[in-house]
Amino acid sequence: MLVFTRKREEAIIIGDGIEVRILRVGQDSVKIGVTAPPSVPVHRQEIYDLIRAENEVAVRRSGDLHKVIARLRERVGHT
Amino acid sequence: MSAPEIETPVNEPIDVNPRAEDVIAFPTGLPGFESCRRFVVMSREDAAPLCWLQGLDEPRPAFLAIDPALVLENYRMRLGPADHQRLDAREDDPLLWLAIVTIASDDTATVNLRAPIVINPRRMMGFQVVPHESLYPLRHPLSF
Repeated sequence: MLVFTRKREEAIIIGDGIEVRILRVGQDSVKIGVTAPPSVPVHRQEIYDLIRAENEVAVRRSGDLHKVIARLRERVGHT
Repeated sequence: MSAPEIETPVNEPIDVNPRAEDVIAFPTGLPGFESCRRFVVMSREDAAPLCWLQGLDEPRPAFLAIDPALVLENYRMRLGPADHQRLDAREDDPLLWLAIVTIASDDTATVNLRAPIVINPRRMMGFQVVPHESLYPLRHPLSF
Protein backbone atom coordinates (compact mmCIF):
# COMPACT_ATOMS: atom_id res chain seq x y z
CA MET A 1 0.00 0.00 0.00
CA LEU A 2 1.22 3.44 -0.90
CA VAL A 3 1.06 5.78 2.07
CA PHE A 4 0.92 9.56 1.66
CA THR A 5 0.95 12.42 4.08
CA ARG A 6 -1.34 15.18 2.79
CA LYS A 7 -2.41 18.51 4.18
CA ARG A 8 -5.83 20.06 3.83
CA GLU A 9 -6.58 20.98 0.19
CA GLU A 10 -3.79 18.75 -1.05
CA ALA A 11 -4.64 15.91 -3.39
CA ILE A 12 -3.33 12.80 -5.04
CA ILE A 13 -3.91 11.83 -8.65
CA ILE A 14 -4.62 8.22 -9.59
CA GLY A 15 -4.26 7.07 -13.17
CA ASP A 16 -5.99 9.11 -15.81
CA GLY A 17 -8.25 11.76 -14.33
CA ILE A 18 -8.96 10.50 -10.80
CA GLU A 19 -8.29 13.02 -8.08
CA VAL A 20 -8.64 12.42 -4.35
CA ARG A 21 -8.52 15.64 -2.36
CA ILE A 22 -8.44 16.17 1.40
CA LEU A 23 -11.09 18.79 2.16
CA ARG A 24 -11.32 18.83 5.92
CA VAL A 25 -9.66 17.02 8.80
CA GLY A 26 -11.60 16.48 11.99
CA GLN A 27 -10.84 14.57 15.14
CA ASP A 28 -12.28 11.21 14.03
CA SER A 29 -13.05 11.78 10.38
CA VAL A 30 -11.63 13.18 7.21
CA LYS A 31 -13.69 14.80 4.47
CA ILE A 32 -12.47 13.69 1.06
CA GLY A 33 -13.44 14.89 -2.41
CA VAL A 34 -13.15 12.42 -5.27
CA THR A 35 -13.22 13.51 -8.90
CA ALA A 36 -13.42 10.65 -11.35
CA PRO A 37 -14.72 10.08 -14.88
CA PRO A 38 -18.26 8.64 -15.05
CA SER A 39 -16.87 5.27 -16.15
CA VAL A 40 -15.19 4.94 -12.75
CA PRO A 41 -17.81 4.36 -10.05
CA VAL A 42 -16.89 5.58 -6.58
CA HIS A 43 -18.48 3.88 -3.56
CA ARG A 44 -18.32 3.92 0.19
CA GLN A 45 -16.69 0.59 0.93
CA GLU A 46 -19.12 -0.58 3.61
CA ILE A 47 -22.10 -0.07 1.28
CA TYR A 48 -20.39 -1.80 -1.63
CA ASP A 49 -19.54 -4.70 0.70
CA LEU A 50 -23.15 -4.93 1.89
CA ILE A 51 -24.43 -5.21 -1.67
CA ARG A 52 -21.66 -7.59 -2.68
CA ALA A 53 -22.58 -9.88 0.23
CA GLU A 54 -26.25 -9.82 -0.78
CA ASN A 55 -25.38 -10.61 -4.42
CA GLU A 56 -23.29 -13.56 -3.26
CA VAL A 57 -26.19 -14.88 -1.19
CA ALA A 58 -28.58 -14.33 -4.12
CA VAL A 59 -26.64 -16.53 -6.55
CA ARG A 60 -26.57 -19.39 -4.01
CA ARG A 61 -30.36 -19.68 -3.82
CA SER A 62 -30.48 -22.04 -0.88
CA GLY A 63 -34.29 -22.46 -0.97
CA ASP A 64 -36.71 -24.05 -3.41
CA LEU A 65 -37.38 -21.80 -6.37
CA HIS A 66 -40.36 -23.83 -7.54
CA LYS A 67 -42.13 -23.30 -4.23
CA VAL A 68 -41.46 -19.57 -4.37
CA ILE A 69 -42.78 -19.28 -7.92
CA ALA A 70 -45.86 -21.34 -7.08
CA ARG A 71 -46.63 -19.06 -4.14
CA LEU A 72 -46.11 -15.93 -6.21
CA ARG A 73 -48.43 -17.22 -8.89
CA GLU A 74 -51.15 -18.03 -6.39
CA ARG A 75 -51.04 -14.44 -5.26
CA VAL A 76 -50.91 -12.78 -8.65
CA GLY A 77 -53.35 -15.19 -10.30
CA HIS A 78 -51.06 -16.95 -12.75
CA THR A 79 -52.21 -20.42 -13.70
CA MET B 1 -19.00 -25.65 -31.36
CA SER B 2 -21.83 -26.18 -28.94
CA ALA B 3 -23.10 -23.42 -26.69
CA PRO B 4 -21.94 -23.48 -23.09
CA GLU B 5 -24.30 -25.15 -20.68
CA ILE B 6 -25.24 -22.86 -17.87
CA GLU B 7 -26.96 -23.67 -14.62
CA THR B 8 -30.19 -21.72 -14.49
CA PRO B 9 -32.29 -20.71 -11.53
CA VAL B 10 -34.74 -23.49 -12.34
CA ASN B 11 -31.89 -25.89 -11.67
CA GLU B 12 -31.69 -27.35 -15.13
CA PRO B 13 -28.79 -26.55 -17.39
CA ILE B 14 -29.98 -24.95 -20.61
CA ASP B 15 -28.06 -23.78 -23.61
CA VAL B 16 -27.32 -20.11 -23.54
CA ASN B 17 -26.28 -18.97 -26.94
CA PRO B 18 -27.54 -15.44 -27.10
CA ARG B 19 -27.70 -13.34 -30.19
CA ALA B 20 -25.14 -10.53 -30.07
CA GLU B 21 -27.93 -7.94 -29.89
CA ASP B 22 -29.30 -9.53 -26.70
CA VAL B 23 -26.04 -9.19 -24.77
CA ILE B 24 -25.93 -6.38 -22.23
CA ALA B 25 -22.57 -4.87 -21.31
CA PHE B 26 -21.89 -4.31 -17.61
CA PRO B 27 -18.54 -2.50 -17.80
CA THR B 28 -17.83 -2.91 -14.07
CA GLY B 29 -19.62 -6.23 -13.54
CA LEU B 30 -21.75 -6.50 -10.41
CA PRO B 31 -20.47 -6.14 -6.83
CA GLY B 32 -18.93 -9.50 -5.99
CA PHE B 33 -18.88 -10.50 -9.68
CA GLU B 34 -16.72 -7.78 -11.15
CA SER B 35 -15.15 -10.09 -13.73
CA CYS B 36 -18.49 -10.88 -15.38
CA ARG B 37 -19.04 -8.08 -17.86
CA ARG B 38 -21.74 -9.53 -20.14
CA PHE B 39 -25.26 -10.55 -19.20
CA VAL B 40 -28.51 -11.54 -20.87
CA VAL B 41 -31.98 -11.15 -19.40
CA MET B 42 -33.84 -14.43 -19.71
CA SER B 43 -37.44 -15.24 -19.04
CA ARG B 44 -39.40 -18.40 -19.20
CA GLU B 45 -43.11 -19.03 -18.95
CA ASP B 46 -42.62 -21.40 -16.02
CA ALA B 47 -40.62 -18.85 -14.02
CA ALA B 48 -42.83 -15.76 -14.54
CA PRO B 49 -43.20 -13.24 -12.92
CA LEU B 50 -39.52 -13.81 -12.19
CA CYS B 51 -36.85 -13.51 -14.83
CA TRP B 52 -33.14 -13.86 -14.48
CA LEU B 53 -30.01 -12.08 -15.33
CA GLN B 54 -27.58 -14.64 -16.69
CA GLY B 55 -23.87 -13.84 -16.68
CA LEU B 56 -21.94 -15.00 -19.74
CA ASP B 57 -18.43 -14.59 -18.31
CA GLU B 58 -16.94 -16.71 -15.54
CA PRO B 59 -18.17 -17.55 -12.97
CA ARG B 60 -21.41 -17.12 -14.95
CA PRO B 61 -23.58 -15.96 -12.09
CA ALA B 62 -27.36 -16.23 -12.52
CA PHE B 63 -29.46 -13.75 -10.58
CA LEU B 64 -33.18 -14.17 -10.21
CA ALA B 65 -34.84 -10.83 -10.71
CA ILE B 66 -38.17 -9.08 -10.86
CA ASP B 67 -39.48 -5.74 -12.05
CA PRO B 68 -39.36 -3.67 -8.85
CA ALA B 69 -42.55 -1.86 -9.91
CA LEU B 70 -44.36 -5.19 -9.51
CA VAL B 71 -43.18 -5.31 -5.90
CA LEU B 72 -43.78 -1.67 -4.99
CA GLU B 73 -46.10 0.20 -7.31
CA ASN B 74 -44.47 3.59 -6.82
CA TYR B 75 -40.88 2.38 -6.82
CA ARG B 76 -38.60 5.16 -8.02
CA MET B 77 -34.84 5.40 -8.02
CA ARG B 78 -33.19 8.66 -8.96
CA LEU B 79 -30.17 8.53 -11.24
CA GLY B 80 -27.59 11.31 -11.46
CA PRO B 81 -25.91 12.68 -14.58
CA ALA B 82 -22.89 10.37 -14.07
CA ASP B 83 -25.27 7.38 -13.94
CA HIS B 84 -26.83 8.42 -17.24
CA GLN B 85 -23.37 8.74 -18.73
CA ARG B 86 -22.48 5.25 -17.53
CA LEU B 87 -25.53 3.97 -19.42
CA ASP B 88 -24.83 6.22 -22.40
CA ALA B 89 -28.46 7.23 -21.89
CA ARG B 90 -30.26 10.27 -23.20
CA GLU B 91 -32.80 12.00 -20.97
CA ASP B 92 -35.71 10.34 -22.78
CA ASP B 93 -34.29 6.82 -23.06
CA PRO B 94 -36.66 4.38 -21.37
CA LEU B 95 -34.68 2.36 -18.83
CA LEU B 96 -35.26 -1.20 -17.70
CA TRP B 97 -35.13 -1.81 -13.95
CA LEU B 98 -34.63 -5.18 -12.30
CA ALA B 99 -34.37 -6.03 -8.62
CA ILE B 100 -32.41 -9.10 -7.56
CA VAL B 101 -34.38 -11.79 -5.72
CA THR B 102 -32.80 -13.84 -2.94
CA ILE B 103 -34.32 -17.15 -1.90
CA ALA B 104 -33.47 -18.26 1.62
CA SER B 105 -33.17 -21.82 2.88
CA ASP B 106 -36.68 -21.62 4.37
CA ASP B 107 -38.05 -20.96 0.85
CA THR B 108 -38.89 -17.35 1.60
CA ALA B 109 -37.88 -14.76 -0.94
CA THR B 110 -36.68 -11.20 -0.55
CA VAL B 111 -36.05 -8.50 -3.12
CA ASN B 112 -33.09 -6.14 -3.13
CA LEU B 113 -34.85 -2.82 -3.71
CA ARG B 114 -31.91 -0.89 -2.35
CA ALA B 115 -29.47 -1.71 -5.15
CA PRO B 116 -31.42 -2.34 -8.36
CA ILE B 117 -30.00 -3.20 -11.76
CA VAL B 118 -30.61 -0.56 -14.41
CA ILE B 119 -30.27 -1.22 -18.13
CA ASN B 120 -30.42 1.13 -21.09
CA PRO B 121 -31.95 -1.11 -23.80
CA ARG B 122 -31.08 1.34 -26.58
CA ARG B 123 -27.37 0.96 -25.88
CA MET B 124 -27.55 -2.44 -24.11
CA MET B 125 -25.53 -1.17 -21.16
CA GLY B 126 -26.23 -1.70 -17.50
CA PHE B 127 -24.95 -1.52 -13.96
CA GLN B 128 -26.09 -2.14 -10.42
CA VAL B 129 -26.96 1.06 -8.62
CA VAL B 130 -25.12 1.31 -5.28
CA PRO B 131 -26.78 4.28 -3.58
CA HIS B 132 -25.27 5.47 -0.34
CA GLU B 133 -28.68 6.56 0.83
CA SER B 134 -31.90 4.81 -0.07
CA LEU B 135 -35.46 4.66 1.14
CA TYR B 136 -35.62 1.06 0.05
CA PRO B 137 -34.43 -2.02 1.91
CA LEU B 138 -31.84 -4.58 0.88
CA ARG B 139 -34.28 -7.35 1.82
CA HIS B 140 -37.85 -6.45 1.06
CA PRO B 141 -40.14 -9.49 1.54
CA LEU B 142 -41.35 -10.74 -1.82
CA SER B 143 -45.10 -10.98 -1.56
CA PHE B 144 -47.95 -9.47 -3.48
